[in-house]
Amino acid sequence: MTIAARPAVVALAPIKNEPIHPVYRQIRDLVYKVSGIYKAEEKLYLLSDGCGRRMKQLGARTPREYWDQLTAQPGHDGELRHLLNEITIGETCLFRSQPQLDALRKVILPEIVAERTKQITKRLRIWSAGCSTGEEPYTLAMNMLEESDCLLKGWTVEILATDLNDRSVETAKAGIYGDYALRSTTDYFKHKYFTTVDEKKLQVRPEVKKLITFSRLNLQDDSKMLFMRGMDLILCCNVLIYFDGASKSKVVNHFFTDLNFGGYFFLGTSESLMKLNDQFHLVHFPGTIAYWKPSLSSGKL
Amino acid sequence: MTASMTATIRERVARIETMPAIPAVFVPLMKMLGSSTIEVNVDEVVRLVSYDNTIAAQCLKVANSPLFGLAQVPRSIKAAVISLGLRRVETILLTCCLGQAFPAEKWTLDPDVFWRHSLGCALVCRKFSEKLAGVDAEKAYMAGLLHDLGFMVNCLVFPKEFAAAMERACREEIPLHEAEETAMGFTHCETGQALAEKWKLADDIIEVIARHHAVEQSHKAQSLVAVVHLSDLLCRMRGLGYGYYERRRVDFSSDPAWLVLLQEHRDLEGVDLARFTFELDESVEEVHALVSSVFGPARPRTEATAAR
Repeated sequence: MTIAARPAVVALAPIKNEPIHPVYRQIRDLVYKVSGIYKAEEKLYLLSDGCGRRMKQLGARTPREYWDQLTAQPGHDGELRHLLNEITIGETCLFRSQPQLDALRKVILPEIVAERTKQITKRLRIWSAGCSTGEEPYTLAMNMLEESDCLLKGWTVEILATDLNDRSVETAKAGIYGDYALRSTTDYFKHKYFTTVDEKKLQVRPEVKKLITFSRLNLQDDSKMLFMRGMDLILCCNVLIYFDGASKSKVVNHFFTDLNFGGYFFLGTSESLMKLNDQFHLVHFPGTIAYWKPSLSSGKL
Repeated sequence: MTASMTATIRERVARIETMPAIPAVFVPLMKMLGSSTIEVNVDEVVRLVSYDNTIAAQCLKVANSPLFGLAQVPRSIKAAVISLGLRRVETILLTCCLGQAFPAEKWTLDPDVFWRHSLGCALVCRKFSEKLAGVDAEKAYMAGLLHDLGFMVNCLVFPKEFAAAMERACREEIPLHEAEETAMGFTHCETGQALAEKWKLADDIIEVIARHHAVEQSHKAQSLVAVVHLSDLLCRMRGLGYGYYERRRVDFSSDPAWLVLLQEHRDLEGVDLARFTFELDESVEEVHALVSSVFGPARPRTEATAAR
């Protein structure tokens, strides 16, 4: 078959957004290396905004100059911590990660329920480690209540919610939230599980609170961590970033021990364990990843 | 699957004379893809790309996408061919041709969803292969792009049966190939294989199409089949699947394909799968954008002319 060439000289407009300074990609890699938090390309602006705020405070004029402060200057560890604070702040809200909730309700719960059909005491234990002002444990509690007439019929659900900060724990106990924290909560959940405080605020109903025990806990306190056994699920979102390598590894090992066999450990949406613990299996659910402590029957321990 | 069922599939696929809207460059392109790169010259590729204005414009759009990583926007086909390299252009051309090959009214699947998955898988295959020594990344791209060819065949030849399988998969939130097996007694792997053989595609590509859901049964090109299997799975876990929730947990490091790959590629141990997953997420928006610009509804021929 022969083809006669028909010249096509087609010029197209570039499909590109505002270029991002290459140093921010270096910073992104550094942040990933020390914290396991990955800022995807479309979220690099969040990183550059955070850097911008820090640069202003420090008087750094260019991203390159800021990079030097992050890496070469004395006290760079402290600066890295400030930056991590900047880029993780304000991320919390109720129903923050629907893929995690779907994984929990559609895959993990049926798996746990199926595994324990023969057990007399049917108890599910969830730990929200670093619960901040309570958005995560309340979200979990509402979702568990949704299952209480079907999958979890006859089950006792206990949610333990801990944070290092006393004030956060007190705020969490009150369970009062404004529009911003409720931006991802559907009307269905708002009507069913909240009462109105005033025109701008809603409060979590007592039946939701009943499922949760709030307390102050330092994840680095080894003696207390030893008492957190028997968990089916641990969530620890955007907390490990505040620890250095050795403490992080120790905390993760505690989490591994505290989980039941076949239990799951969730981090923040763009957070990973990297090589912190090789006993956990990285597993994928639609739209989210988690770490699995292999069950005794899986032969993968 | 019984021998008589295989015969039925082959017979019905044989009756597809050609994909109705297949672009004229498709056949010579397939021939070119089968030959070694040395035999292909730049002018020949430029000639193929330039033959059809619509395809030429689409090729430039694809080349322009951040997914193909060109620092500068190519101003002409020749410039694009030179900057991208021959093999990359061949795969881009194949992407565009396939996009045009299928009649709009015959889709049982949402075509956008199909192309997002195929293109996403192709890109992940390429990226994944780049991490493994000795796997041809452009070949992997092509294999990823074509691995689900059988779904197109199903839409053309078994539309009712396939619609039932699709409905079942969505309702039960199970993998589509499992629903096909239950509802039809065979899967897109067999129908895709029949078309790939009819088109005389390369043996390793046929193997990928036929075995990407059963890597352990693959005897040829097992690494390539494993790469496609894992990339397919990863796409389905990260929003580039078939548009419905698959109720499942995937443990990649225990997947037979991972173990097969690990035997030949020790460098796989060094792959940070979590980061690889996050990196894929970066490409999802681009894949959506590219699919709507390249595989969207057929545009009038004048568009490319107008863009000159």
